[in-house]
Amino acid sequence: MNSYKEQWLAVLRNKTQCRAYEARVRELDAPIGSFLSFHLDPPPGSNNPPGALSGIPLAVKDNIAVRGRPLTCGSRILENFQCPYTASAVEKLMSAGARIAGKTNLDEFGMGSSNENSALGETVNPWNHNKVPGGSSGGSAAAVAAGFVPLALGSDTGGSVRQPANFCGVYGLKPTYGTVSRYGLTAYASSLEVIGLFSRDIALMEEAFTIMRGFDPRDQSSINPQEPPVGGKKAAVLKVDGGALDGAVSDACKTAAERLGAEGYEFSAVQLPSLKYVVPAYYTIAAAEASANLARYNGMRYGYAPDYAENPRELMKKARHEGFGPEVKLRILLGTYVLRSGFQEQYYGRAQKIRTLIRRELDALFKDYNFILMPVFPTQAFSRGGADMDDYQQRLADVFTSLANLAGNPALAVPTGMAKGLPAGVQLMAPHFAEARLFQAAGELSKHFSPPSPEGSLDIRGLA
Amino acid sequence: MRGSYKTWIGLEIHLHLKTDSKMFCSCPARYGDEANRNVCPVCMGYPGALPRLNERAMELGYLMARALNCRLSAKTFFARKNYFYPDMPKNYQISQFEDPVGTEGFILADLGEVGERSIRIHDVHLEEDAGKMIHAGDVSLLDFNRAGYPLLEVVTEPDLYSGEETEAFLRDFQRLVRRLGVSDGNMEEGSMKCDANISINPEGKGLGTKVELKNMNSPRFVRLALNYETARQAAMLKDGGTIIQETRLWNENRDVTETMRRKETSDDYRYFPEPDIPPFVPDEAFFSRIEKGLVELPLALKKRLVAEYGLTPDLADFIRDDEAVARLFEETVSLGSSPRDVAAWLSSDVRKVLNREGRGLAGSPLTAARFHELLSLIAEGSISGKIAKGVLDRVFQDGEDPAAIVKAEGWAQITDTGQIAEFVDRVLEANPQVAEAVRTGDMRQRGWLMGQIMRLSEGKASPEMAQRILDKKLLDE
Repeated sequence: MNSYKEQWLAVLRNKTQCRAYEARVRELDAPIGSFLSFHLDPPPGSNNPPGALSGIPLAVKDNIAVRGRPLTCGSRILENFQCPYTASAVEKLMSAGARIAGKTNLDEFGMGSSNENSALGETVNPWNHNKVPGGSSGGSAAAVAAGFVPLALGSDTGGSVRQPANFCGVYGLKPTYGTVSRYGLTAYASSLEVIGLFSRDIALMEEAFTIMRGFDPRDQSSINPQEPPVGGKKAAVLKVDGGALDGAVSDACKTAAERLGAEGYEFSAVQLPSLKYVVPAYYTIAAAEASANLARYNGMRYGYAPDYAENPRELMKKARHEGFGPEVKLRILLGTYVLRSGFQEQYYGRAQKIRTLIRRELDALFKDYNFILMPVFPTQAFSRGGADMDDYQQRLADVFTSLANLAGNPALAVPTGMAKGLPAGVQLMAPHFAEARLFQAAGELSKHFSPPSPEGSLDIRGLA
Repeated sequence: MRGSYKTWIGLEIHLHLKTDSKMFCSCPARYGDEANRNVCPVCMGYPGALPRLNERAMELGYLMARALNCRLSAKTFFARKNYFYPDMPKNYQISQFEDPVGTEGFILADLGEVGERSIRIHDVHLEEDAGKMIHAGDVSLLDFNRAGYPLLEVVTEPDLYSGEETEAFLRDFQRLVRRLGVSDGNMEEGSMKCDANISINPEGKGLGTKVELKNMNSPRFVRLALNYETARQAAMLKDGGTIIQETRLWNENRDVTETMRRKETSDDYRYFPEPDIPPFVPDEAFFSRIEKGLVELPLALKKRLVAEYGLTPDLADFIRDDEAVARLFEETVSLGSSPRDVAAWLSSDVRKVLNREGRGLAGSPLTAARFHELLSLIAEGSISGKIAKGVLDRVFQDGEDPAAIVKAEGWAQITDTGQIAEFVDRVLEANPQVAEAVRTGDMRQRGWLMGQIMRLSEGKASPEMAQRILDKKLLDE
């Protein structure tokens, strides 16, 4: 049987195939809404040497810059913005032959875990249209799960790649902070976020990751990967208070541990004493950085501007008042609040201390263990419209994902099975730069389970 | 009543650094281009664009901090200073707050009449400039060419006590930044800006309420604004009033300061560490480049010009005030010319030519080699001082060497005794009465006769020889 990548390479070779592909995706995506804009790049010219990803269509979360395409960030304030440049990570994938297929929906500026905070459209879970696809990179996760593209980019600030991957039943990678250039990623919380990947195929994901990582002179916080310590077969599983997880989620963790045990891994249960401080610390830092990062949208140079304003101050006020959605406003206000002079130590300073603490606790664990197995999210995909989870519960539920963002570690969401008609899976977290261990373990798990396709997905083999 | 109050003045000086590109992107840092030409996604604050540090700006920042005897940071950080302004692309300014380039420095400044005094420096920090908003009728226009220019802010302690001192300090400071090559330091063109904090109180009572003065576009305006403000505040205190903490603008048309904004509470800039720029840690090579850039400072130069070359303080001031003049002076002297002659020519004839041509010395045809050749021709007696002025003009016009000009024009001085005696004889023959008058003691007419002799020789006769021959002939006969 051909590999997943080879199935894709076999099609989209000529104009007829490409047109058929575009038409089919448009049709199938209508009820799902994963793309905000969709238009497949022409195939590379004949004088371009074929790269490792030659011909592979790539979906890009619409907060990552691609020249000549929109960069809406799921917001009214950038609804009509055309991007004049391309993100470094996208450039690297394109020079390896990847073709941009379209830009995917997201919670406005990456703020949310349901994709319901997008101002420009609703994306649903391909497995059950009454469920959310997760967020904020819900569009990319849904597009990959529905087979529209073999590979998609997202961004992960507090779990925005891993949680939707988990909800949609695909692999979702959050790389080590700094290993992938952020140049071209619209900033939400600069010290936490990184561009990540979605795929249904772990080998293709690893290949794409290897292409897009590395130091970029345009992002001075980027770094070349360093050699991680050699990993053994000892692994940890995070102990979580009983009742904190849905049955399907704790079952997934058990199943994964058993399967990995069969592959020779030895598991020990571990605890992270500072885990309870993760969510408050994460939201404090994220909101603080967001309040500065989103200050640039003021209707002056680009983006939404009101029809009329008395003076420049009023213009900025109106542009922001009318252009931003409620969740974005809330986080800007929160960030402004925690950064007030006289209160910085109480909030921002403390959050940074917690961050150091968490990182130390994880570093200590990684001296003994190859990786840590834990849930991605306490539940499977929840219902749309806040029926089973309100905003506050959704934020608390970021605990397992935002951990890796605070500490900068790489983490991978791995699908392990289906329960109640919805995907279930686990998260694997490794020491800095040890993505290879995650791919290794996920590869071993994939022998036991490979992600199925929901109804209404595209089977690329049908286009050949 | 004036004597019973004490005035304290502290300065915040902003310098545009002399770099080719902006602080955080590769756009040219250049004045005078068409609006919004020198911009890119980074300096326009586009979504996803990230800053990257200009290392040259870091070098100039550290060099300035070093020259101001600051404690240099072994690790320096950038921070975001948050505030909204239409011409600020990101609505935060990348600046420095904790651990700036340099802190706790001092500079021995030449304050003119009051002499030298050490002025303490609070800190030296780097930041980026904003764009420019121009109001034209009922529209406002934005130009972002200047957005992201590297700025160095030097903050002094309140160690200045009058407008006159402050003006002298600023002039001395301008000499310093130009000599170091850190900035053009031009307040009129905006490459240097100075805000002043002034506070006055009765003697012995310590600092009073701080008032900030802005919009002074020359050291002179700084003096005028400070003196106006000193008088205004003293009059208020004398009448039992209180000074309000506020920012005032100097109005140069009306020669007054006017309220710009009152500060009931201080601005909250919500500083936090800039996550996009890792801490800057200079290495040994960086610090050795800084030491290399640390040239002799203006005050030390002045002292050396007086002590080593015997120049008057005024001439020394003239020489050090212009970096190109100072360089030409030292180079010409090092070739062997007399320091006093070089200084005298620079401050008179060379300056006249430059003024007439409306140009500076930098890049002019008057190289040290040519200048030395010209002065040597005079010293050897090959040309007179008067001819030399003509040669100097020609050096500027044609860019040729003085000796070549003299040769081509046949301007070499006549030193042949017989030839000069002939000029003297002809003048005496043509003016017997005048000659007689001089002989009988009317020495005023002797100068007139000399003039006639020089004119007859077309200025080429050696004046010393002509004088000697004339005297001899008048006395002997």
